[in-house]
Amino acid sequence: MRFTKYYLAAAVSFFLVSPAAADCGKVTIADMNWSSASLIANIDRFILDHGYGCEAELVPGDTMPTGTSMVEKGEPDIAPELWSNALKEAIDKGVEEKRLRIAGKSLTDGGEEGFWVPQYMVDKDPSLATIAGIKANAKMFKHPEDDTKSGFYTCPAGWNCQISAGNLFKALNLGDDGFELVDPGSGAGLAGSIAKAFTREEAWFGYYWAPTSVLGKYKMVKVDFGSGADKNEYMSCTSNAECENPKVTMYPPSLVETVTTESFASRAPEAFAYLGKRGFKNAHMNELLAWMEENQADGNIAMEHFLKNNEATWLPWVSAEVAGKVKKALADL
Amino acid sequence: MAKESWFTEFPEMERADLISIRKALDESYREFSRSYGEIIESIFDPLLYFLVWFEKLLLASPWWLILFVIVGLVYGASRSWKLSLGVIISFMLIGYFGMWENTMRTLSIITVCTLLSIGIGIPIGILMARSDKTQAVVTPVLDIMQTMPAFVYLIPVVMLLGIGKVPGVIAVVIYAIPPVIRLTNLGIRLVNKEVLEAAVAFGATRQQRLWGVQLPLAMPTIMAGINQTIMMALAMVVIASMIGVKGLGQPVLKSITNQYFTMGLFNGLAIVTLAIVFDRVSQAYARRSQRHMEGQSNA
Repeated sequence: MRFTKYYLAAAVSFFLVSPAAADCGKVTIADMNWSSASLIANIDRFILDHGYGCEAELVPGDTMPTGTSMVEKGEPDIAPELWSNALKEAIDKGVEEKRLRIAGKSLTDGGEEGFWVPQYMVDKDPSLATIAGIKANAKMFKHPEDDTKSGFYTCPAGWNCQISAGNLFKALNLGDDGFELVDPGSGAGLAGSIAKAFTREEAWFGYYWAPTSVLGKYKMVKVDFGSGADKNEYMSCTSNAECENPKVTMYPPSLVETVTTESFASRAPEAFAYLGKRGFKNAHMNELLAWMEENQADGNIAMEHFLKNNEATWLPWVSAEVAGKVKKALADL
Repeated sequence: MAKESWFTEFPEMERADLISIRKALDESYREFSRSYGEIIESIFDPLLYFLVWFEKLLLASPWWLILFVIVGLVYGASRSWKLSLGVIISFMLIGYFGMWENTMRTLSIITVCTLLSIGIGIPIGILMARSDKTQAVVTPVLDIMQTMPAFVYLIPVVMLLGIGKVPGVIAVVIYAIPPVIRLTNLGIRLVNKEVLEAAVAFGATRQQRLWGVQLPLAMPTIMAGINQTIMMALAMVVIASMIGVKGLGQPVLKSITNQYFTMGLFNGLAIVTLAIVFDRVSQAYARRSQRHMEGQSNA
């Protein structure tokens, strides 16, 4: 009798464990607080859940806290869209110490950063697409708190781009033309200032990045510094707080990667291989973001839209067997 | 699997309908801000000029002069050497740790916010105390103001007025004004009915009753409300800096995103210092102006 019980218990526990694929198990995915990252995180969750038998869970995240927590605490397991220039040293060190592994590029073209002006301004005066034109028309870009000055909307306090935007501001001598840095305080504040300018067709000049739903929705033109992108200068000086003599350079495309913890990569090599192949072109991502904006969709709904309508994109990321499982799960949604 | 029905699943609105409602509301707001944005912005212009002027004044004045004025106000209000000395030491420390300019920026905006809150809040509280109908309308509004997450109304305000000081002041006032309104209302309602009857018997008019009886007797409660308003205004400094208000909130945000714990702690402590100074001074002033009442209750 005791033996039967023992075997029964063993059999039950065996059945409980085996279908959940003990090799993958619980996986936490950082759901960053911007649309493209949230979309990718939701796609990963669905595919890992249904295709690779993981128990994937989304946890809220942001570049700095998530990156640091992955290096220090090994949590969350996956950062699906990490703008890794922002914390290059920490990631390099994590990879070296075998705490992190880089799966691949989540945006294959890399992220695009720059100083932008609205399209409608360039339509009126094409010279505004160049930095010389901006400087000549500095008076147009009113400072929100001081009519005698011009405002340049920089990157919010504490973000890594605040350093690079500040250095470029210095290098371009924008201060000499009456410009002053306006700190919008948060991503929402920066986007809000753009939305305000666009609803009233006012002048706006500031830092932004793509792919974003903001740039999908509000058509803007990247201002040409006439210098080209000098990657070495950017890495060694422009992106450093201690840079004493910043030089003018366009932003080189930023590396946007999928980073996982070493423990996840070693316990689920197949899922890790999928993450390595999963990547988006910027043009396609902008389209998806515009769709999200149009339909006020969150990452979860956009994930469904993407998986149902863009099979050609995601089928090559997974094996035929996994694709079958994912398709079946999609049909059940 | 069983077919979904209203019995197992909550009968939700069609997603398409929901989206069209959201879109319609968003679009009409955009339309509103397009047509009235500039007018509304110009209404707030005087406030903006005042805020900018006041900040510049505090930034441009030499530090010892500002410290002298602050200590003068503190001593005038409290007549306490201990408190004045404490204020000198804490401001010296703030300056020594390189937070003087940001503290001045925060001081300027918080002073304006507190004065606005008191100036708007006390009359509303008085109106509320006089009519149950007003109270029934205002109370839920206050509930909304205190619980609605700030960014829900901040981003529409930013779309209307842009980033910077004015939306910041609006955010802070919305969050900080409820306690002073609530406690003014409560204080006046708690005034002893017999005392009021006595005032009526002496032939006091409504105005005389308000200024001579109700407000003085309600003063301790109102002061508690003002104290809470000041505290909540300072607690909003960080949120305000998320829409571009300069001051102590910005380094706090910076340290949160970059995990500079010490920097966060120092700037946080500077905010606490400001709060304590504001609070102790207003409380000391209230206690001094209430002293005659203490005498009565002891007798």
